[in-house]
Amino acid sequence: MRTAITRAALLLFCAGLLAATGPALAEEAKPEPKAVKLTTTADHSKFKQLQKAFASGPEVTKACLECHTEAAGQIHRTKHWKWEYLNPATNQKLGKKNVLNNYCISIAANQAACTNCHVGYGWKDNNFDFTKEENVDCLVCHDTTGNYRKVPGSGGQAFGKDTEFPPGSGKIVKGIDLAKISQKVGKTSRDTCGGCHFNGGGGDGVKHGDLDSSMATPEKELDVHMDAVGLDFTCATCHKTSSHDVAGSRYAPTAKDDKGVQTRGKPGSGNPATCVACHGNGPHKKEARLNNHATKIACQTCHIPTFARGGIPTKMEWDWSTSGKVDANGKQFVKRDEKKRIIYESRKGDFKLGENVVPEYAWFNGHVEYTLLTDKIEKGPQRTPINKLGGSAADGKSMIWPMKVFRGTQPYDPVNKTLVTPHTTGPDGYWNTLVWDKAIEEGMKDSGQPFSGKVDFVNTVMSWPITHMVAPKNKALGCADCHSKQSRLAGITGIYIPVRDNNTLVDTLGWSIVLLTLLGVLGHGALRIVTGRKH
Amino acid sequence: MKLAKILAAGAILTVIAGTASAYDADWKRGRIYYRSVCTSCHAASPVGSINPSTKTKAEWTAYLQADKHAKGKDTVSGYVSKAYRAKIKSGNKAAEKFADTPDAELAADIKAFLIKGAKDGDSPATCS
Repeated sequence: MRTAITRAALLLFCAGLLAATGPALAEEAKPEPKAVKLTTTADHSKFKQLQKAFASGPEVTKACLECHTEAAGQIHRTKHWKWEYLNPATNQKLGKKNVLNNYCISIAANQAACTNCHVGYGWKDNNFDFTKEENVDCLVCHDTTGNYRKVPGSGGQAFGKDTEFPPGSGKIVKGIDLAKISQKVGKTSRDTCGGCHFNGGGGDGVKHGDLDSSMATPEKELDVHMDAVGLDFTCATCHKTSSHDVAGSRYAPTAKDDKGVQTRGKPGSGNPATCVACHGNGPHKKEARLNNHATKIACQTCHIPTFARGGIPTKMEWDWSTSGKVDANGKQFVKRDEKKRIIYESRKGDFKLGENVVPEYAWFNGHVEYTLLTDKIEKGPQRTPINKLGGSAADGKSMIWPMKVFRGTQPYDPVNKTLVTPHTTGPDGYWNTLVWDKAIEEGMKDSGQPFSGKVDFVNTVMSWPITHMVAPKNKALGCADCHSKQSRLAGITGIYIPVRDNNTLVDTLGWSIVLLTLLGVLGHGALRIVTGRKH
Repeated sequence: MKLAKILAAGAILTVIAGTASAYDADWKRGRIYYRSVCTSCHAASPVGSINPSTKTKAEWTAYLQADKHAKGKDTVSGYVSKAYRAKIKSGNKAAEKFADTPDAELAADIKAFLIKGAKDGDSPATCS
């Protein structure tokens, strides 16, 4: 019995050995092609430059640049690096460095926190060196492990070893294995882009409405292109890069693309991120009538019926004027709704959240003008626009677009009549002190703009064209969504939409023709019966 | 008898070691399978969905090693197998997409996602 068991075990051992060494033996007998990584042309774990411990992000970048000699220079030219953009149409200097919004308002005096989403290391104040190559952060876009972390409040630094941060605080931030992460770099992904773009406005889904973490592995119903088990597009599939510059812009969007499908090498090609760049200007093969709609209606209008439909709410309103309350113990507090979602924070004020939000619609021609810190504003019954979107039915350049319209109430300077840039983050920021005038004084100083010392609040509004979360075609809007008395396009002017609109003359004329036709048919039939004639 | 035990254990370890050294687990593929196959089924049953962040890395490792599903009624590995994927692929796109992925690779992918998404993992994760 014992011999039998030993024999069986020996047999099993041999089988195990064979299974483990099998491929090698098979290779001797019949050469097989070696396993090839199909997502990259280089296995970075084989590079000596990356086979060492890295204490910081810039050390990794130096190693990357030994081979990718032009990469940092390319990055230095982009909006992702400069956070600055000169709009040629309006001559406005935009970019995150210059614009304000009605979410967290501005990066001024908050750089150390906000630049956690900068593709660089060390931008914590206005002294950041934008020319230094090793300040470029390669890993934030090219990490495939999902383990890369920039340390909040550090100006976007990544620590490769345990580090006391903030210095002198006694708090230790655990280092991450930068060598392992750098050895596994690859193409950008929904996760890397989403690390920042899903979390705009300070949290998951807060800002965009059509971008949140549900888009990391979306189902077809949520996004027909990014469907993780279907087409599986990454962001870069549409936002095609050229020399590290990512196509597609919120500051100068392409509202109407009449250039048709983009062909490689075709001169004068436009924005590769538009729907038309792939689908062309007449995408509806079965229902040609819909192609007529596509001359006035953006694809997104019908194909994104609602946004924030991945189970993550988006902020729809933010009232900063109610911030600053404390509890009986003088401590900051939060309030949650029945779904445990935060709807009030002492440091931020009241929020309204939305899921499955039906967009608002507007004519849009791609022209965007921002209200900047240097612009005068008037507090009145109308909300102050943070961005003004151009467009009308008559200009020949506009399409009807779906929008997330975000409404806020934010601090402003009632004497100088300007918006303001409060310093919110850090120990002396508003979120910690709850003192507005000091926070605004510091922020405006950082922005190089005057502040009177007086603080009031103004109602503002900001529009975000919606372009992600494209539903499958069977979930697109139907005729009655617009052609009805309860039309989604109720606020759209300058165009006649049958059923939504009534014109007495047109209606009388139309119904008269129908009535006369009916009378003609009935009269003709009656005559045939009376006269007994066949013809 | 002692020799038999040593040889048998050696055989299993040799196979596991051989697989482990040859394959670099893809946590993203594991995430898709976990969410599209495991969660979609669990969400519909009385058990409900199970977030990776509800267990620690050690708990997930022990659970996968024990290979007992539904308190031992069947195996976890059975739900990762090619045979199971073939059975459900007409109604499950993830199973269809990964129909030909070797069992060991897919199991390693799922484990990588669960360890990463565990309560004490690098990125505690939910089902959605």
